[in-house]
Amino acid sequence: MARYFLLRLADAIPTIWLVLTLVFIAMRILPGDPAIAALGDMALPEQLAAFRHKMGLDVPLWQQYINFLIGVLSLDFGQSYMNGEPVLNLIAANLPYTIELTVAAMVIGVGAGVPLGVLAATHRDRLPDSGMRLFSLLGYAIPDFYLGALLLIGFALNLGWFPINGGGDGFVDRMYHIALPALTLALVKAAFIGRLTRTALLETLGKDYVRTARAKGAREPRVIYRHGLRNALLPLSTGMGLSLLATLSGSVAVELVFNRPGLGRMLIQAINERDYGIIQGGVVVFALLVLLINLVMDLLYIVIDPRIRVK
Amino acid sequence: MNLRRRQFLELSAATAAVSMLGTKFARAASDPDTIRIGIAANGPRTSDPNYTTQGGDNWATEQMYEQLVRPDDGTFATTPDQYRPTLATEWSASPDAKTWTFKLRQGVQFHKGFGEMTSEDVVFSFKRAMADGTNKPILSNIADVVANGPYEVVITLKNSDVNLLGTSIFLNNTAIVSKKAVDQMGAEKFKTDAVGTGPYELTRFDTKWGTALKRHETYWGEKAKVAKVESVYIADTTARTLALLSGDVDMIEAVRAPGWVDSMLQRDSTLQFDMTSPGSFNTLHINLKRKPFDNIKVRQAIMYAIDRHAVAEAMKPMGGFTADLQPEFFPGGFKTEDLPPELQYNYDPEKAKTLLAEAGFPDGFDFESNVSQREDYASIMLIVQEQLRAVGMRMNLHIGDHTAYHADNQHDKNTLALHSSSYPPIPTQLYTQQLSTRAEVKPDGSGGINYSHYGVVIPGIDDLLAKALQATDYNAYVDYCKQIELQVLRDLPLIGMSTLSFTVARNARLDLGYKVKSGYARWRFHHATKKA
Repeated sequence: MARYFLLRLADAIPTIWLVLTLVFIAMRILPGDPAIAALGDMALPEQLAAFRHKMGLDVPLWQQYINFLIGVLSLDFGQSYMNGEPVLNLIAANLPYTIELTVAAMVIGVGAGVPLGVLAATHRDRLPDSGMRLFSLLGYAIPDFYLGALLLIGFALNLGWFPINGGGDGFVDRMYHIALPALTLALVKAAFIGRLTRTALLETLGKDYVRTARAKGAREPRVIYRHGLRNALLPLSTGMGLSLLATLSGSVAVELVFNRPGLGRMLIQAINERDYGIIQGGVVVFALLVLLINLVMDLLYIVIDPRIRVK
Repeated sequence: MNLRRRQFLELSAATAAVSMLGTKFARAASDPDTIRIGIAANGPRTSDPNYTTQGGDNWATEQMYEQLVRPDDGTFATTPDQYRPTLATEWSASPDAKTWTFKLRQGVQFHKGFGEMTSEDVVFSFKRAMADGTNKPILSNIADVVANGPYEVVITLKNSDVNLLGTSIFLNNTAIVSKKAVDQMGAEKFKTDAVGTGPYELTRFDTKWGTALKRHETYWGEKAKVAKVESVYIADTTARTLALLSGDVDMIEAVRAPGWVDSMLQRDSTLQFDMTSPGSFNTLHINLKRKPFDNIKVRQAIMYAIDRHAVAEAMKPMGGFTADLQPEFFPGGFKTEDLPPELQYNYDPEKAKTLLAEAGFPDGFDFESNVSQREDYASIMLIVQEQLRAVGMRMNLHIGDHTAYHADNQHDKNTLALHSSSYPPIPTQLYTQQLSTRAEVKPDGSGGINYSHYGVVIPGIDDLLAKALQATDYNAYVDYCKQIELQVLRDLPLIGMSTLSFTVARNARLDLGYKVKSGYARWRFHHATKKA
């Protein structure tokens, strides 16, 4: 297992390199000048030149690329063009907010989605099933940012139950601030996971071993959870992995709507301001998170279904 | 009712949670001792006034720092006699307006126990702003700043400047900082822990959230009435609007788009709106190097085709009309009726068509142009596009990212380049930056923002500008500015499209203590009071 883990990590290196290179090229192709963005369009040519020199933007592109790769290897993404703070510090300050939002959304999404899926599967073609289908349709159809705005207006503005913006200070305050953003992301996840659970469970409930269990007199909850849901875990875990990745990317819009600190909001700001260091650092962290999630999902398969062998 | 242990625990937890939520919300909504403003940006960059680059940061620096002089709250000083003593108690200029002497106020204390402000701090602040500050170009006329004893500073200029108080003294970048604090902390730390003399001092600088200030208890003047000020950064317009409507913040920087004020009033009719006049100057550069815009008749046709009153009206109540480049109450500005009839350019599409025909375009022509997607830019240019189309000038407008738009403009890639800038009542600043030969845009991006190539393609206003800048008499200065305005209206390299007030929407609970009429895009809170 440890060897498998290490091999998978080694496999990730070319992917990370490709991501780094693509981001580097994309940033340089994108029109817009980081020096003008940082100093304003009234800056004098010599001020712009001094800025480019200070930030290493006046050397040939290949040299910037080499410097960038060397920086990444030593975990140094440079400093923000806007406020001069080391990019790594900014990432470290924002990453926990994105992770806690993603985790909270997944907990709520899975916590609601799986029971809803079970309910729909066990009441096939009846009211709970129709309700579940309508819910999943809505979940797919409503964009995160729109749902976020609706929840904000309803629960924060009109009812005043939740804060309007920010990330909060201290654990309790942070949980209070995370409620609506997490719910926004979770509703879509719940719809997706619910639908997935329903399909997977219906499939397993039709298998011979389930019929056998029922014939042996097993009680219905045991049939559903022990024999049905347990065997539906593999497709479900794939769905959850995909859902986790979608939640991570969905956090960008939600962080903006709720004005929460986080990697997503930081990246959008950096793109608008052509702050190369933050964009490069942020994308690398996002890529690492995606790779990590994929790796964990692969390992989980082995745990869930020992028939899958490590090759 | 029988309550089992488990039910009791659940009920207790729920009650505690609800009461906690209620307390938190109440604190956010009605703390009478905190003024909270929602800034239209993602996070603060610096609190060092000598180096601020982002407009929103100035809301905090405005409270934390002071200059030697300042105008009355809520106004611009349109003439030199309207400045009030601040860190300087009196000042005088030599007859040639090249040597200015300022006597400093004694006993002014810096924040956080950094001691008394002296001439050493003033010299230090000016020199670092001149060496590397954001407004370095404007300060380039200063030859030297020297201390004459602890309470007197002498500023010598390369060229005369009858407007020095407006051009160089009352600037955000020439606010006075503590030399001792910079020396002790180092420049990097000072960016987020700056020390000034203003009515509030910095207590928190958080790039993810914003800045917090508290009252400066040893302030030399009347102390601030509200104890704390918080600048919360909320870039998203929906989030910012909701923050104001919910009472989470007391005021927000507005969205400068048509209909925004009306839509806000529909949601909450008690909201107050503070607007500066003129605010931003929206100027339209006509690229004289692009055919057929090198033809004066085509440029005149543009002038007659665009209904500038309609543009200002569309941005109502933030939009303002200018007959020339400067608002009529600024030095150099004209009222329409005071202009020669041929330079009044009252909206006349038929005349525009006639001029186009005379220029050899009876069927009009097509051309390409770029504009930023930012609300104010895009709104104005879409109106212009429709009005030009009505007379046969078919503009294919490319709407793009704001940063890319400015970068393209600076590389001379635009035909009709709209530009938005704020200027104090110092008209020569706009002429220097947008009309002088020295500021001509260059294809390699090394030039300035004279996107029309005025002064290079056709003779410009350089001689008049030099005379205005060297004037030793204020009235003579204004007279030269008026001559420049008339010449620009004759040559039409640049059109004053409209002004756009900088606007803040404010909860009625907060009273600023004065009326905002004019001034930079930030105002002080030291006289403000707030009801619970």
